[in-house]
Amino acid sequence: MGKFKNSCIIDDDPISVFGIKRSMKETNFTDDVVVYTNGQEALDGLTKMLNEGKKLPSIIFLDLNMPIMDGWEFLDDFIKIPNTNTEKVIIFIVSSSMDPRDMIKAQSYSMVNNYILKPILRKDLVRLMSELDIKQP
Amino acid sequence: MDTTAHTIPIQEAPIALATVDRNFYFVNCSDQWFEEFGLVHKNVVGKPIHEVIPNTPVQLKSMLENCMATGKMQEDELRHLSPGGSSAWYKWRIKPSKTDNNTTIGLIITCLNTTKSKRAKELLRDAENVAKMGGWDLDLITNTVYWSNVTKLIHEVPLDYVPNLETGINFYKEGESRETITKLVNNAIMHGEPWDTELQLVTAKGREIWIRTKGKAEFINGKCIRVFGLFQDIDEQKRAEIKSGQIQERLDLATSVAQIGIWEYNVHEDILEWNEQMYELYGVKKEDFNGVYDTWKACVHPEDKARCQQEFDMALAGTQEFKTQFRIIHPDGSIKYIKANAGLFKDADGNITKMVGTNWDITDQINAQLRLDINKESFKGSFESSAVGMALVAKDGSWMDVNNSLCVSLGYTRKELLSLTFQDITHPEDIDNDLNHLQPLLEGKGDSYQIEKRYFHKTGRIVYVVLTVTAVKDIEGNLSHFISQIMDISPRIEAKKKSEQFLEITKNQNNSLLNFAHIVSHNLRSHSSNLSMLSNYLLEEEEENERKIIEKMIFDASDSLHETVEHLNEVVQITTGAQEQMREVNLNNTIMNVEKNISALLSEKNVECDIAVDPKHKVKAVPAYLDSVLLNLFTNSIKYSSPQRKPKITVSSKKKGKNIILDFKDNGLGINMERHGEKLFGMYKTFHQHEDAKGIGLFITKNQIEAMDGKIEVESAVDKGTTFRVTLNAE
Repeated sequence: MGKFKNSCIIDDDPISVFGIKRSMKETNFTDDVVVYTNGQEALDGLTKMLNEGKKLPSIIFLDLNMPIMDGWEFLDDFIKIPNTNTEKVIIFIVSSSMDPRDMIKAQSYSMVNNYILKPILRKDLVRLMSELDIKQP
Repeated sequence: MDTTAHTIPIQEAPIALATVDRNFYFVNCSDQWFEEFGLVHKNVVGKPIHEVIPNTPVQLKSMLENCMATGKMQEDELRHLSPGGSSAWYKWRIKPSKTDNNTTIGLIITCLNTTKSKRAKELLRDAENVAKMGGWDLDLITNTVYWSNVTKLIHEVPLDYVPNLETGINFYKEGESRETITKLVNNAIMHGEPWDTELQLVTAKGREIWIRTKGKAEFINGKCIRVFGLFQDIDEQKRAEIKSGQIQERLDLATSVAQIGIWEYNVHEDILEWNEQMYELYGVKKEDFNGVYDTWKACVHPEDKARCQQEFDMALAGTQEFKTQFRIIHPDGSIKYIKANAGLFKDADGNITKMVGTNWDITDQINAQLRLDINKESFKGSFESSAVGMALVAKDGSWMDVNNSLCVSLGYTRKELLSLTFQDITHPEDIDNDLNHLQPLLEGKGDSYQIEKRYFHKTGRIVYVVLTVTAVKDIEGNLSHFISQIMDISPRIEAKKKSEQFLEITKNQNNSLLNFAHIVSHNLRSHSSNLSMLSNYLLEEEEENERKIIEKMIFDASDSLHETVEHLNEVVQITTGAQEQMREVNLNNTIMNVEKNISALLSEKNVECDIAVDPKHKVKAVPAYLDSVLLNLFTNSIKYSSPQRKPKITVSSKKKGKNIILDFKDNGLGINMERHGEKLFGMYKTFHQHEDAKGIGLFITKNQIEAMDGKIEVESAVDKGTTFRVTLNAE
């Protein structure tokens, strides 16, 4: 049994997705993981999940720089999905951008829990799990 | 009874006398009667009286009737008016003629011509009224006082007023006047001394007036029985006299205070008379002055002497008015400026007898004038030589004078500028502001203002100035004109504009730099972080298959890194050295060329091209960039064309100011501008699910256009089409 039942990765970079998945496996982070390669795909997928009466992933790793619909646009649209408990979803921004403007912008979204710089390594997920334990005893 | 022998016949009576019967028919009349009324010796007997006497007044008839009726004597003075307007006065007496038994048988009429005495009386009365002269009479026997009507009028008492000696005296003003009259009346009664004096009276209405009183006494047997005299209202004359006395006094005072010297020169005797002020003016002692013309001449400044002599002679000859100005030397050596005027007096034969004139000291005025002249001179000097543009401006806005600096700033000659108003050369957008500031000055509500405004140079270019306007007032405090100081700040404004341009460029470059840093941060770092992560995994991984996968990924990541570095290098190359490669390029030719190069692709995709670019339009561009930009726009339109429609590309150009605007329009898929507008030209941004979408084309295009000092904008609607608008410099 992993720490979380369902996790979600939204990233267009296959190497990045590979890395996150690998770290998850090593830390026994999650039972199940779903991957979308851009914001639009994720939005469509998650909406479909809701329509089918499925539970949303409890944690989402979101990349910023993606084609079609980037991370910011996803955030803007995600809160607009009707009749959901999107606030129960924990979102982590996962980006290679060290641009302070991006980090400041991330703070303006209340549903964003934290901003993690790529690459995501084991220790990142370990720390993340212990932090969430404190927050959600 | 025979009476004729004892009676004088009526005809011979020495007065005009007539008898009439009961019916007023003439019985007879005296010769005097005939004479008086100018009748010839006709038979008047038996004729009615009104036929005999011409112009009989109606009163006479009633007198006759009264006499007949009452039997009493009638007496009255009547005026007879002739139709010609002349009048005569007659004193009539009518007495009944009675028989012994007391029955009236007729009337006896006498008439006396009183015209002369009547006229004399009337004249006297008129004279009294005109001269406001009344009479009075004090009867010492009965101790009564008589005042004539005019006397009463003077005292402002009613005509029925009865005065006595005491009340009469009491009308005199208390004090000197009353004391004087009491003494005079006493003297007259006691010593028979007549008087004639002017005193003040307080009338019954309380008015204080001046009167002339004249009186003398009448003595009988050494005893005064009567004092009588005249009484005249002289208030007006007296007041006028007093006033003129005051005026004289004031004039004396004024000439003394104002230091006006007055002189009088007697031509025949060569005597010069001076008033006190003249001595002071010339610093001459009265005892040293011998009163001759030469003494005066000795005081005059040597340089002015000859001229003064000439002017004096001309005045004496009557050829020119004496109105001059000269200098005198004071005994202490100081020089005074004297202004002199004079008038001539002539005798009955027209010979000049004397000259009377004035002298006054205008040294202070002259000195003030000199100082003013110096000020004016120095103002004029600074006005002319000022590096700041200056102008004297009339109230209507026309230039009264302009200095050289202003002419230089505005490019007009002085003559040209003076024929214009400031409104003529002011930038239309600045006129109201200037006039709004000027208005309070015109209304006297302010003294000056300062504004920045624009004029037009003669050549039409704009001249930026700081204008300071100051109101100049005349001696009465009314607005006279304006002094404008016009500081040309065009070079400063130009420099400011230039530095703003530099600032803009710097800002843009700074933005590009930031953008570049962002790109580096996003795109390079994503690959480097992948590489570091994968290397870590490779070190840990022992399983062979897994290692192979990781190795493959490391290759991909390093390829991507290489590609990104290439792209970034390309971008850096775009901006470096672009300026040196800029040249004039014919836009239409370039577009046609690009279209030709991709004609295979266009026909394959069945694209309709409508190119309507003015063949004369030329732009400043780096030819390779322009080719690249156009190629990218064409291929983009083809790549993102709508499968629903036959693709159509419309290219057009127009000139706007110094720019050429190129519109590149398609009917393709379009872009959601609300969503993607901001990052449309960003690096690695893609908006369509297209296998070739890499997100580098528009990024390069934008950089190339900006390197050529141009700009690119976009308008688009989803599923309608997209228009890219490229603005480039024409020259």
